Amino acid sequence: MASVTFQNVFKKFGDLEIIKNLNIHVEDKEFLVLVGPSGCGKTTALRLLAGLEEITDGEIKIGERVVNDVAPKDRDIAMVFQSYALYPHLSVYDNMAFGLKLRKTPKEEIKKRVNDAAEILDITHLLDRKPRQLSGGQRQRVAVGRAIVREPKVFLFDEPLSNLDAKLRVQMRAEISKLHQRLQTTFIYVTHDQTEAMTMASRIAVINKGLLQQLDTPQALYDKPNNLFVAGFIGSPAMNFFSATLNVSDGKVLVETDSFKVQIPEALSAPYKNLGGKNIIFGIRPENIHDPEFAPPNIHGEKVSVKVDVTELMGNETFLYLMSGKNTFIARVDPRSKKRVGDDMQVIFDMDKFHIFDASTEEAVR
Amino acid sequence: MAISKSTQKARKKRQSNLPYLYLLPAFLIMGVITFYPLIYQVIISFTNFESKHLLLGLRSPELEFIGFKNYIDIFTAALPVENFNFFRVLTFNFWWAISNVFLHVPAGVLIATLLNTEGLWLKKIYRAAYILPVVVPPLVVATVWTNIFDERYGAMNQLLAIIGGFFGNPDPVYIRWFEDVKPPIPGFLPGAPLTLAYYAMMIANFWLGWPFMSVVATGALQSIPKDLYEAASIDGATGSQQFWNITVPLLRPAMIPAAVYGFTLSFNLFNFVFFMTGGGPARSTELLVTFAYNLVRNLRWYGVAAAFAVIIFIVALIVFLITNRITRATQNYQEAG
Repeated sequence: MASVTFQNVFKKFGDLEIIKNLNIHVEDKEFLVLVGPSGCGKTTALRLLAGLEEITDGEIKIGERVVNDVAPKDRDIAMVFQSYALYPHLSVYDNMAFGLKLRKTPKEEIKKRVNDAAEILDITHLLDRKPRQLSGGQRQRVAVGRAIVREPKVFLFDEPLSNLDAKLRVQMRAEISKLHQRLQTTFIYVTHDQTEAMTMASRIAVINKGLLQQLDTPQALYDKPNNLFVAGFIGSPAMNFFSATLNVSDGKVLVETDSFKVQIPEALSAPYKNLGGKNIIFGIRPENIHDPEFAPPNIHGEKVSVKVDVTELMGNETFLYLMSGKNTFIARVDPRSKKRVGDDMQVIFDMDKFHIFDASTEEAVR
Repeated sequence: MAISKSTQKARKKRQSNLPYLYLLPAFLIMGVITFYPLIYQVIISFTNFESKHLLLGLRSPELEFIGFKNYIDIFTAALPVENFNFFRVLTFNFWWAISNVFLHVPAGVLIATLLNTEGLWLKKIYRAAYILPVVVPPLVVATVWTNIFDERYGAMNQLLAIIGGFFGNPDPVYIRWFEDVKPPIPGFLPGAPLTLAYYAMMIANFWLGWPFMSVVATGALQSIPKDLYEAASIDGATGSQQFWNITVPLLRPAMIPAAVYGFTLSFNLFNFVFFMTGGGPARSTELLVTFAYNLVRNLRWYGVAAAFAVIIFIVALIVFLITNRITRATQNYQEAG
């Protein structure tokens, strides 16, 4: 049980700066997910914490102990690798017992811990098999089991689900969440999949180009993204963006794109009143664009004329790919919507749920 | 209906004969150059065939069938050849092959592992350099090493003299590597005393043998996923524990066939042994193959040589069957992932 702290951490490979001034504090027993696109430095951050890479500058603490110069084996962590990294010549039992044997744990104790872990993960019947005799999902469980038996202070997961098929991924996602509740230990989990991040994390750190973009709870990230990157990265389908200018007249704030104008509701317009003429990026999530027939009541709706380009029927919802002038965007509407490809229609923007970003700094303006 | 059935049958017959027709030329050639001499050899192994019978061969009027006498003479050391004992040669031959493998494989693995170190400078140059001994003709290697072990002018004795000088003994060293029959470690190999010449050959053949093992090990090492080492380092394994628990077991599937190959190669390493010691001194470094060659080339006892060759064939067959078993028993680990 321990907290984890990254304090002003830098990592360079030659001249390449992979991590720039990372500051994260992970509370004890927290489930923190590091998320970001490929190559953003999230895996490097995890490897720095594991001790598989040396940090260039800064401090990493596990609990109160600075571990910069501590060998991986002495950091009291366990890691689950993307490739699982199971020892192919050892049985499942020996794979899980390997770390304990090296630490000269008594045989009885090893047996108990391995059996307990196997039971939690439902792999007791596989203990005698070799990794090559297992399916992807089973290997995944063994890799997790190998981490559990060590009873570490911190669990590290490096994209553990990315080699599994979609269905298994959903299932394992739930199991890892359950495991976290059961073990009550700090979990640090790296993924490029924002769905995984949203579903499992107690807090998410969004990283891009080696920089921490935002660190917050999943809901806060979704509702109040700090900048354009976070807004675009969290949520699927992604938030729609429009280049626009703010127009303030008679105390009303209007967002003007090249094809439509929408008004910001009076109650929310205060931060924008002095920004008349400013170039901004206007953002709205697909589920906040409605088919007028099915629009919820009591919203500050603004009508926008569009043409339907593509429709995707998902059964429980329908995605409309819409065009307005040169702007293309997606609406996630009620499945009963009758709109089809080529139709001209009006959609309703729920103006209680918009986002505005500074066009030059890409930071949120609120 | 009946007609079509019979034509079908005829076609089937023609089809089934065709492959044999295609095989015939190859079979004829093999018959002439392989099977005929093989059978001929087995036949003359039961005769007193000598030089004088070469002209008429099996039709020679003086040729006598002497049953298993040649075989018995070989096994009971009854041949009028100095210092010959079949079982000693056989023991030495096995020991020679085994000791070479036990030296070359670990050395190859160790050097390959060291050269696989990340961030090592000029890695490719080392790897190119150590493949050189493999491509030098064995005759050249044997000649060079014979010179190195020369009693008066050889580099080895000079090196030993320098080392001796370092420890305060200025005397020149004159070790007679290829002549001394007294084994330096008496009783080391029961039944086949190992002379200095054996150790000289081991040193020279080491130079010749490890690079191949190292090449195989290098290839196998590069196929071991790096994250296994990372997982092990988190699990708590030190460098040497990683070597013993991951590198060694994962190299096994590649190294066992290589070791088996090395064994058979050393077992029949005719040219190197023949050119370096000629089986001496006092036949102490004789292999089965070099002795067989002696029987024909120098003594011209074709009958005995034929019997000896049949024995070698049977020994080689047994070795082959065993090694084949070992190789096949080596399972390939499929990578996890």
